Amino acid sequence: MKNFREIELLSAYLDGQLSPSESARLEARLASDPELASAFNDLRAARGILRKLPSRKAPRNFTLTRQMVGLKPPLPRSYSFFRFSTAFATILLTLTFAANLAAPRLKYVGPINTGWGGGYGGGPAESAPMLAAEAPAATEAPAEMEESLSAAVTATPAGTLAPAAPALEADVMPTQMADSVATEAPTAKQMETPPEAAALPPVADQAGAESGAAEPAQSQPLIPVAWQFALFALILLSGLVAFLLRRSAMQKWK
Amino acid sequence: MDEPALIQTAQRGDLDSFNTLVLHYQDSVFNTALRILGDEDLAADAAQEAFISAFRSINTFRGGSFKAWLLRTVTNACYDELRRQKRRPTTPLEPETNDGEEVDSPRWLADPNLTPDQQFEADELEHAIQHCLDMLPAEFRSVVVLADIQGMDYAEVATAARVPLGTIKSRLARARLRLRECLRGFEELLPSAFRLEGESKT
Repeated sequence: MKNFREIELLSAYLDGQLSPSESARLEARLASDPELASAFNDLRAARGILRKLPSRKAPRNFTLTRQMVGLKPPLPRSYSFFRFSTAFATILLTLTFAANLAAPRLKYVGPINTGWGGGYGGGPAESAPMLAAEAPAATEAPAEMEESLSAAVTATPAGTLAPAAPALEADVMPTQMADSVATEAPTAKQMETPPEAAALPPVADQAGAESGAAEPAQSQPLIPVAWQFALFALILLSGLVAFLLRRSAMQKWK
Repeated sequence: MDEPALIQTAQRGDLDSFNTLVLHYQDSVFNTALRILGDEDLAADAAQEAFISAFRSINTFRGGSFKAWLLRTVTNACYDELRRQKRRPTTPLEPETNDGEEVDSPRWLADPNLTPDQQFEADELEHAIQHCLDMLPAEFRSVVVLADIQGMDYAEVATAARVPLGTIKSRLARARLRLRECLRGFEELLPSAFRLEGESKT
């Protein structure tokens, strides 16, 4: 057996891949080296056998269909327009429903905001002990704090309601908070109840107000029903046109 | 058949033009897949997959031999199938050395599971050659199928197999050597059919 380099050379020679000079050198060696000639004959025989292998006919046609390659029919430009308008109108219609549903709730947000002090009456009572605990030391209290001392004093029940908070710390509660607490009469009353309990009545009020406000809003929707009907008609119409355009394109394509 | 014109229109998405090319090359594509995979059904699937893939990527064809380009697609499809088979092996693996190299000795040909009748069936030239092809590593098999069965030149084989020209030479020599060894085993059994007295000089 010859080494592989020689086998490679013989194989290339068999395929006519050697240069004329290389071929001439190899031919001279083949004439004088029976082992090399035998190896060459082996390679040539192997190639000859492979070439005798019968060629089979394809068992079926491999022609492609449009479905196989996922080809889509050439659609007219107007198809894109109608498809877009259908989608856009659908989104708009959905938004009108969403707006009409959300309108009563949005309307209620107004009164809640305007009645912040009253509605949030329980808030200061709750936060007063907390703020008192977080407040800076009394020695560093700003000057305006001193001015509002009398107002803050009215809030001291908040401090007394929180056993952990010392009275001194309750006094240095931020001015704004102290003012809001002091000026709201209901708040002062609620101070006498525990903070958790004080927070409850406004929530109940909120729920009551919400149900009360929702009823009149339903009778007057934000987006008129006529608009919704118009959008619905637009969806149907443009959707139908898009569908027909696509179908006719498909039929032509087939 | 005006091949360049058909390729151009196919590149613009014309399926009918491409199908004309399919009809022209389907036998070559199927035979290549059959000789690499050794199974008609798998070969038909690979050929179909190759044509679908060829149509989708026909814009990557930049001239040269269209047949070589097509056969590259089917060779890839065959490699994919062989990889799938490797993940779920259904046939016993050929003997390998510790380094993962296939054993060169033809002793593996002596299959004790083959009955005399089955051996007789393997008598046919085609079965014997396919058997020997199946014994080759896939990358050697594809090169020898493209060069010696499809009759492509080295440059076309290099394109189709996506390997450098030097590698083609080396793989082809090794594949022919192994095939010769393999066929010699059959020659002993069937001297009349496999007498390798050599082909007439080309």
